[in-house]
Amino acid sequence: MNWSNVKLIFHREVRDQLRDRRTLFMIAVLPLLLYPLLGTSMFQVMQFVSEHPTKVLIVGAEELPDKPTLIDGTHFDGAWFSSPDRAALLDLTLLPRPSEGDDAEAAFEDARKAVERGEYEAVVYFPPGFGRHLLELRQSLARRITDADDDEVELTVPDPDVYYNTAKEKSQITFARVSQVLSRWTDEIGKQNLSENHLPESTAHPFDLKEHDVAEQLGHRDAAVWSKVLPFLLLIWALTGAFYPAIDICAGEKERGTLETLLSSPAERREIVWGKLLTVMLFSTVTSLLNLLSVGVTGAFVINVLPQELKNVGWPSGLTPLWLGLALLPMSALFSALCLALASFARSSKEGQYYLMPLMLVTMPLVILPMAPGVELNLGNALIPVTGVVLLLRALLEGNMAQALPFVPVVVVVTLGCCLWATRWAVDQFNSESVLFRESERFDLNLWFKHLMRDRGDTPSPAAALLCGLLILLIFFFMGMALSESPQTMPASEGADKALADKGVAPVDNEFGRLARLVAVTQLAMIATPALLMTIMLTRSPRKTLLLRLPKLWTLPAAVVLAVVLHPAVVLLSEFVQRLYPMSDAVREATNLRLNAPWQVLLLVFALTPAVCEELAFRGFILSGLRHLGHKWQAILISSIFFGVTHQIFHQSIVVCVMGLVLGYLAVQTGSLLTGSLFHFTSNAMPILIQLLLSTEGTERWRWHPLIEKGDNLPYVFAWPVPIAGCMIAAGLLYCFHRLPYVRTNEEVLQDALQHERQASPAAGS
Amino acid sequence: MIHVEGLTKHYADLRRGRLVALDDVGFAAFPGQIYGLLGPNGAGKTTALRIISTVLRPSSGKVAVNGFDVVTQPSQVRRQIGFMSANTGVYDRMTAWEIVEYFGRLHGLSDDLLGERMERLFDRLQMNEIRDLLGAKMSTGMKQKVSIARALVHDPPVLIFDEATSGLDVLVARALLNTVAELREQGKCVIFSTHIMREAEKLCDRLAVIHRGRILAEGTLDELRDRHEQRDLEELFFQLITRHDERIHATDEPTVSMEPLPKAFHA
Repeated sequence: MNWSNVKLIFHREVRDQLRDRRTLFMIAVLPLLLYPLLGTSMFQVMQFVSEHPTKVLIVGAEELPDKPTLIDGTHFDGAWFSSPDRAALLDLTLLPRPSEGDDAEAAFEDARKAVERGEYEAVVYFPPGFGRHLLELRQSLARRITDADDDEVELTVPDPDVYYNTAKEKSQITFARVSQVLSRWTDEIGKQNLSENHLPESTAHPFDLKEHDVAEQLGHRDAAVWSKVLPFLLLIWALTGAFYPAIDICAGEKERGTLETLLSSPAERREIVWGKLLTVMLFSTVTSLLNLLSVGVTGAFVINVLPQELKNVGWPSGLTPLWLGLALLPMSALFSALCLALASFARSSKEGQYYLMPLMLVTMPLVILPMAPGVELNLGNALIPVTGVVLLLRALLEGNMAQALPFVPVVVVVTLGCCLWATRWAVDQFNSESVLFRESERFDLNLWFKHLMRDRGDTPSPAAALLCGLLILLIFFFMGMALSESPQTMPASEGADKALADKGVAPVDNEFGRLARLVAVTQLAMIATPALLMTIMLTRSPRKTLLLRLPKLWTLPAAVVLAVVLHPAVVLLSEFVQRLYPMSDAVREATNLRLNAPWQVLLLVFALTPAVCEELAFRGFILSGLRHLGHKWQAILISSIFFGVTHQIFHQSIVVCVMGLVLGYLAVQTGSLLTGSLFHFTSNAMPILIQLLLSTEGTERWRWHPLIEKGDNLPYVFAWPVPIAGCMIAAGLLYCFHRLPYVRTNEEVLQDALQHERQASPAAGS
Repeated sequence: MIHVEGLTKHYADLRRGRLVALDDVGFAAFPGQIYGLLGPNGAGKTTALRIISTVLRPSSGKVAVNGFDVVTQPSQVRRQIGFMSANTGVYDRMTAWEIVEYFGRLHGLSDDLLGERMERLFDRLQMNEIRDLLGAKMSTGMKQKVSIARALVHDPPVLIFDEATSGLDVLVARALLNTVAELREQGKCVIFSTHIMREAEKLCDRLAVIHRGRILAEGTLDELRDRHEQRDLEELFFQLITRHDERIHATDEPTVSMEPLPKAFHA
């Protein structure tokens, strides 16, 4: 790559963007105006809402005792508020209650309806005899203390009722005010009762809690608010700041016709993408920084103006800008690459704008997840893109340096990986003429189907492969919903591996029958059938598509051995994944189904069926189609992801995805489905056979052999030397597979030629 | 200089199935020669020229520019050519000078050489008054001048003009044709596609009549006239196309090539 071209393109794009008023408005003017305006309007709205008096109806107030006074005229007594003038916030209407009988019942009913109709925000109803009972309570207390035998008097007072409406915010506020007044008044009555009977106040209220906030002493208290607000703002604006320039410099260029000019210049596609990427990144970073700056400045003014009691939000620590800056760079790189790839797909700026919402929908959960209470920085969360960065940033802003540091390398690796992947995607978009020269055409489903049938090739197109993967996922989702009677549904084969976990301990015969049927339905109906149907409909050569040919004979035993030697490492990986993302009890319960069936049947259901059905779909139709993308590993990876996602329990998905990579590689190198199927069968059979071995009476001595031990989460794991030795043998075997000459698609031949050309002339750009 | 052999390009089209934009096209163009591609709208001219300029990839066939293959050595090919079409736009927010300078630098010209070339080009194309004018404010003729300057700034041995005069008034079109003729004098290999007979007659040393993705006739103007016994190029062109269409209808051959799909670049 020629960096001077990248620099040239970068300079041009930046200059171009700076001459565009819309961009300048988005990145510079909007943030500078937005927060001051927001602050001002919020102040005004808050004043307007909070200072509004609300109406309260009091029924039966005439019976209330004189001391302590609850009501003074048409307001509560000022003594029950934090400041006496706040009493004016509750406008009282006093309604005498008919003494007793039916009228009293009717009044009770009227009170409720008054709130329902919205005539009053709240109604307080004092029941008949309320005041009298209060008086009697006080007198009986006095009698009890002087005359120890008198304990026959009833000591209860009827409860007053308060009506309010939670559906109305105003009513909720009123209720909060009224209940505070009544609780203070009740406390005072209690105190008076005690003091009249010469008892200390501490009888009813023996102690208070003394609060000590450690964060306050460490100066971290202020960080709590900032550590949530700042990462959120940072990421949202990094995304927004990347989006609009990306649309302008990709879709906009297509629209204005300058992209073809640039494509016919000596700049390579990669150089063009990098130049544009750096531009988008610059604008994303600057937008985010300007927004933070504006928030900071506005915040400083607001905090100064705030009344003393509200000044609990102070300044974040001095290192904040450093952490924000460090987090911002990789995040804007990631968002920029994503936006650029999406924008290059759009035919026009207008179409590009439509892609903002889907992008937000994907990104938002990753940004918001870390704000959920209880989500902490740990290895599992650090591995999630974007979320890891937010959590790390939060820990750093809260000053928990020691907690954050161990996760820095993980977050950096994950983020860089995502950045590279996104950049690669953007470059691929620029290499694809169907993307660059997409015509806007009226979409017609009928026509499209006709086109798929009429213009089918020997093997499926990448789009057909993706469609098949998505279709399988969709069927899985709906059939899964329909079939699940309880959360115990475990449709996929690897689920069954674990389902065999505690085999033989407490047999439940029906459970096996149900699960076996489920696996059969899943495998045959949801995986194999769609793939086979699509093969027949959308391809001309089912044999080529489904790789139905004999491989070299040596690969068959090699596949079996490979599965056996990889098994200890796979078990270790499962154990590791479960430690990383601990399973919820419900899921664990589901994976630990106890089955009892002859081992031959188990092998048939859980090893052979998936080895045939899943291979036909994922390594047959889907992988064959994806290989037309031109990159072997890209095809293997995408097909593995589909393979993983169909195993609906997250923990299995990860392990299965890794297995999918090996299976995909075997399919590509041997050009046959048979080798992979054998590998798949053996992999699935291993846990069944090992547990059979461990549980059989006669081989008791094998149980917990020094090399096999009980795992924390799994029924067995292998001691360290076993997986290591296994992996070494596996590497040797994979090398043998690597040396096989394999059949490449036309697209792969082209990409290899281009790659070769690039390597042959590294100075092409100079 | 430019060798095109068995060039085929097809697209998937929802309505018409596999759409063949170019069907076994072959020709060769040499330095000091203007090679004309003459064809009606949608004949496949733009597709062919886009393949030569590496913007599109051929479905099959071989295309070499100065010995470099367009598929495996695209960046070397782009160094050899100056590409200009009615579709190649001019940046709205850059001045004429900045645009030409930008492409000169992308071609790796040194500051001194670039400065000197640009001064000469701006003089020759009479562009000095629009030197500091932004692209958005230029007329079609001015934009076309900037495009020519942009295509010539690195002094490429091969120049490709795709319907370059479309949308230009007579004066500007004439100036452009003069420039193209000058380029031949300088020993450049020029490919010039057009659907205007007068231009082809005036400029081209060799001609290929292209229709529905196929070359119907190829040779110097005189060779074509003699072969088809028709002195008037317009008549000749019309005859060739009508005969081809009749043959297609008679043999009920599947229709090929309508639109080459250039729309994405027109906004």
